[in-house]
Amino acid sequence: MEPRINHLQIESQVHELLDYPVCTNQITSTIYQCSNDYTGEVNNDKEKPYNCPYSGSKCTVTGDIRWLLQHLRNDHHVEMHDGRSFSHRYVHHNPKHLHHATWMLTLLDCYGRQFCLYFEAFHLKKTPMYIAYMQFMGDEEEATSFSYILEISGNGRKMTWQGVPRSIRDSHKTVRDSQDGLIITRKLAMFFSADNTNSKELKLKISGRIWREH
Amino acid sequence: METESMDCESSTRSIPNDNETYHFSSTKKHAGAAAAVVTNIVGPTSTAAATSVYELLECPVCTFSMYPPIHQADDTTQFRDSVAEIALGQAYCHNGHTLCSTCKVRVHNRCPTCRQELGDIRCLALEKVAESLELPCKYYNLGCPEIFPYYSKLNHESLCNFRPYSCPYAGSECGVVGDIPFLVSHLRDDHKVDMHAGSTFNHRYVKSNPREVENATWMLTVFQCFGQYFCLHFEAFQLGMGPVYMAFLRFMGDEEEARSYSYSLEVGGSGRKLTWEGTPRSIRDSHRKVRDSNDGLIIQRNMALFFSSGDRKELKLRITGKIWKEQHSPDSGLCIPNLSS
Repeated sequence: MEPRINHLQIESQVHELLDYPVCTNQITSTIYQCSNDYTGEVNNDKEKPYNCPYSGSKCTVTGDIRWLLQHLRNDHHVEMHDGRSFSHRYVHHNPKHLHHATWMLTLLDCYGRQFCLYFEAFHLKKTPMYIAYMQFMGDEEEATSFSYILEISGNGRKMTWQGVPRSIRDSHKTVRDSQDGLIITRKLAMFFSADNTNSKELKLKISGRIWREH
Repeated sequence: METESMDCESSTRSIPNDNETYHFSSTKKHAGAAAAVVTNIVGPTSTAAATSVYELLECPVCTFSMYPPIHQADDTTQFRDSVAEIALGQAYCHNGHTLCSTCKVRVHNRCPTCRQELGDIRCLALEKVAESLELPCKYYNLGCPEIFPYYSKLNHESLCNFRPYSCPYAGSECGVVGDIPFLVSHLRDDHKVDMHAGSTFNHRYVKSNPREVENATWMLTVFQCFGQYFCLHFEAFQLGMGPVYMAFLRFMGDEEEARSYSYSLEVGGSGRKLTWEGTPRSIRDSHRKVRDSNDGLIIQRNMALFFSSGDRKELKLRITGKIWKEQHSPDSGLCIPNLSS
């Protein structure tokens, strides 16, 4: 899999995303219509609809997994990757300007299921931190049959987190605040980013994989 | 020589040798050749012609060689920390007799040669002379073969590989210095540190009330393997984001040799596992510096309690790890940026 460069652009992109009329103008009517239509037609009517796992709090879309995947791709422009393993580079030229709750969401498709990979910059009691974690697009029971690993390396150091993906029934904020993922201080992130140049750029390489436990 | 009038406070320090009188002639002659003068500076000598200048820079009391700032200090001059290590300069009496400022403190503001008062007189010319002189590294007796002119010498000495190590014990700074075998015994006998042989470990850290994370509660264990000694530190302290636990390894030796080794630390529970892999830092880097650079396994208290099996009220953290020797030196991309705050 080709490493991607995800640019964590500062306010501009975040604000753009928040202001982007995904959940207000263009899509609203469709969503409401579809939600209304959908409720009557869903196959697994025992299954409650899921909330859209897109981290922006303004999105109130609900639906089943298949619907949400389309919604994430078409309306939120989230990328989807095939395969159990991945390698991403998170780059930012001036990480001190990252305000809290800057995040990236990528979708992963494997084992016939889908997973959300989150990468976030936030403040924990005024200390700037980064966290990466996975959530499973499905219920908690099935989520616990999977495990995942996230690995950050650089500069002769490596940190590995092995965890169990949380179901998207838990909001991404819940998972983030419970620190159930690979979490590092910005100081350490800069240490991983350091190379022979003296740049203060954030260059985090995060790789990982998912596997099924049983 | 420039002279300035200064008020001299009489010293209130009790000075040993107070009652001793010093009898010296203003020029000291040694039996034998002028080269014998430099025998007072034990160790390798440069073949500079100005051996008699060394003589001029010798303190008549302790015969130690002197360095700028060469001035006539009085008792109000602050004693700098470095004076314990280097003779800071000369003091002069109004008759021009000299002695190093270390001894100056002891002579109660009186020139040992003629008993005149000492003042604060600086001699730039003599400082310039001293600057051009070459003297051996002060760690010559520990093996350093190098010779330097004055300013390079001080700089070299702060980095000299032969300089003794400071005691790596965490907590209140222990001022003991020495070589590695000495420090290992010191840790074991004086600090009562646990010693382990082997390159793998499996420790359980238990604390019955983890809410009370005292500032910098820590533990140190020394591991002996590969013919070397490593310090494993485990600490609880407050970071900006709240109470954390940190574990990291330091190598008892220099940074260059530390890079031949790697270590890993692992903590886990409840289907989760956190692993840290890194290069041990040299004990040349203070324990605090390594801790503040976050160069190790850091777990927030909540996560640590999560990993502790049981009711989450007690901390029962199991940390496993191992040390190994790298087959080849790490790639040239390795650099350790200065992360001290």
